[in-house]
Amino acid sequence: MTLFLEQIVNGLVLGGIYALIAVGYTMVYGVIQLINFAHGEIFMFGAYFAFLCLAVLKFPLWLAVLASILLCALMGVVIDLIAYRPLRNAPRLSALITAIGISLILQNLARMIWGAEPRRDLANAKSAFLSQTVIIPGGAQLSYLDLSIIILAILLMVGLNRLISLTRIGKAMRACAQDKMAASLMGIDTNRVIGATFAIGSALGAVAGIMVGMRETIEPTMGYYKGVAAFAAAVLGGIGNITGAMLGGVVLGIAEVLGAGYISSGYRVAISYILMILVIVFRPAGLLGRASAKRA
Amino acid sequence: MKQQTLIETAPYRALCRLEIGHICSALRSSLVLLLIFSAAFLLTAQEAEAAKTIKVAVAGPFTGSVAAFGEMIKKGAQLRAKEINGNGGINSKELELIFEDDTGKDKEASLVATRIASNKKILAVVGHFNSSCSLAGKPIYKRNRIVELSPGSTNVNVCKGSDYTFRNLYRDDFQGSFSAKYIKGVLTDVKTVAVFFDNDDYGRGLRDSFKQSAEKAGLAIVADEAYDRDTTDYKAQLTKIKSANPDLIFIAGLYSQAGLILSQARESGITAQFFGADGVDSPKLLEIAGEAANGIYITTPFIFGLEGNEEAQRVAIAFEQEFGKAPDTWAALTYDAVGMIVEAIEKRGESRKAIRDHLGSLTSPEKGYQGITGLTYFDENGDCLKPAYVKQVVNGKFVAAKVQFLD
Repeated sequence: MTLFLEQIVNGLVLGGIYALIAVGYTMVYGVIQLINFAHGEIFMFGAYFAFLCLAVLKFPLWLAVLASILLCALMGVVIDLIAYRPLRNAPRLSALITAIGISLILQNLARMIWGAEPRRDLANAKSAFLSQTVIIPGGAQLSYLDLSIIILAILLMVGLNRLISLTRIGKAMRACAQDKMAASLMGIDTNRVIGATFAIGSALGAVAGIMVGMRETIEPTMGYYKGVAAFAAAVLGGIGNITGAMLGGVVLGIAEVLGAGYISSGYRVAISYILMILVIVFRPAGLLGRASAKRA
Repeated sequence: MKQQTLIETAPYRALCRLEIGHICSALRSSLVLLLIFSAAFLLTAQEAEAAKTIKVAVAGPFTGSVAAFGEMIKKGAQLRAKEINGNGGINSKELELIFEDDTGKDKEASLVATRIASNKKILAVVGHFNSSCSLAGKPIYKRNRIVELSPGSTNVNVCKGSDYTFRNLYRDDFQGSFSAKYIKGVLTDVKTVAVFFDNDDYGRGLRDSFKQSAEKAGLAIVADEAYDRDTTDYKAQLTKIKSANPDLIFIAGLYSQAGLILSQARESGITAQFFGADGVDSPKLLEIAGEAANGIYITTPFIFGLEGNEEAQRVAIAFEQEFGKAPDTWAALTYDAVGMIVEAIEKRGESRKAIRDHLGSLTSPEKGYQGITGLTYFDENGDCLKPAYVKQVVNGKFVAAKVQFLD
């Protein structure tokens, strides 16, 4: 029982991270029907910015984290401005290819600037307290860092839900997701709203990047692997649906860990994608998605 | 676009109508093309000029997640080349090393191998490092009849089936059985063992041989888990291993993943003894794992600082002077590998075949090559029998284990 509980906990940590990245994908898809392939790289830059602030600017950890989140939000907005906005009325394929291009540029930029070797600077900077282990009721043992990741992910998800459902900007985002033309007719500046969507998605991605940087290592390809898994999570939950992305992230994280623990560790990575395929086959719109009429 | 005949092309028409403007622009573009082609021609002609140097390729993971190995390989090779060229070179020609980066991945290694093999001026390859890369390059080198001398690949299949692939360190079947015997003979408290292996050629091969030998030696294998080199989260597998409660965990993988495994294992509350193999042998392991690395035993093909090896001491001092840091096992093995290739060229001749024939003739201890890592001679496959040593991490540093098991 302890074993199972501990695996669930491991899965929740992974799931929390996937969920934070997945909402970025899903929010952007919701408003402009684009899979932002560069989102994984924003996640990666979140970790690198924090490392930069720590190592070069000698910020204290909390300031480095804050600075990294702001920088990534800015980065998301800038990418939208220069790469996706000019293609707003172009065929969707053009924007998709551009997204892939941005992803490659960012990956190689990070590699050029900081080298391809994995870094442990962020992990070493976290306080010793976070590395200590705690035993929760049920017998599962995990580090304080993992516990904080779960709690933080839950808080951020709840916060995002509140933002989307209760604030004006959230309402504007939902309006744009429903029908951009009608939203602009209602007086909503769609470009501003799209920018805000990118900013929020990127900020959450940055948080995930910092968490992974503290827990594991920072390397230029980290965005690719986690990004693909998070994208699968977003699709599994229903692309365009924020709650779906959160659910998809958690489901995928737990499935990956349980699969590794109980089925086969060698197939760990494959199990998540097999699950995604199965869900899509039986529920094509994802767990929480609704089949919608094809958009023009 | 419809096809144009020569008569319809713009330059011809311009010529006919003697339109100076058009002729000039047509001439201009052809002139530009002519310049580009002559520049390319001149550059390649430069290449032919430089046959005054002897070219040997060094292929390794110079960037990527295992770049620490590549760095040591590069520096070991560079030190040897510097010493050789300082002594007049090979037959009074300069030794030129050509470094090719395979990033530690087999797909990249195939591209690198093709590039090297098709450059007829390169006489031999010191490389690759990762077993999967050497295996990927093997058929290409064999087809092009160029020697591949690996200073780091330990998978059992690397040299089989090709007369052109050699290595100057032991194989994983030996390393696996040596590790099992060492654990049984020296770490006598250990009764149950878990194996955690990298899901590539190296990791799987080492795990197979270790598992076989461990079971024969009477150790109980209580867990056998795989990990993918690209994942950085090992908690799922570690939790499973923890529940099996092993006395010792054998990591069959490379240092960057092993470092994370060590630190995540300690975070999970695992208190077992750790044991690693040559893939874990890098100073970077200590950086990544920090305190979690203390206590781990590692088998390795070579240790600097063993008694009686003055030549190794001299090289270590020279290395430190040249590069500002201490050399590791891989620098030493590459240093010897370059030396072997150079000796082959000096004794037999400056051709790919000569190098292959010379290496193929080192079949007994009397004919073997004496280098800083010991005596190297090959069997009919190109494998060599050399002893394994054991290191331990004590207080954040690698030290030779108190008990070496040289039977």
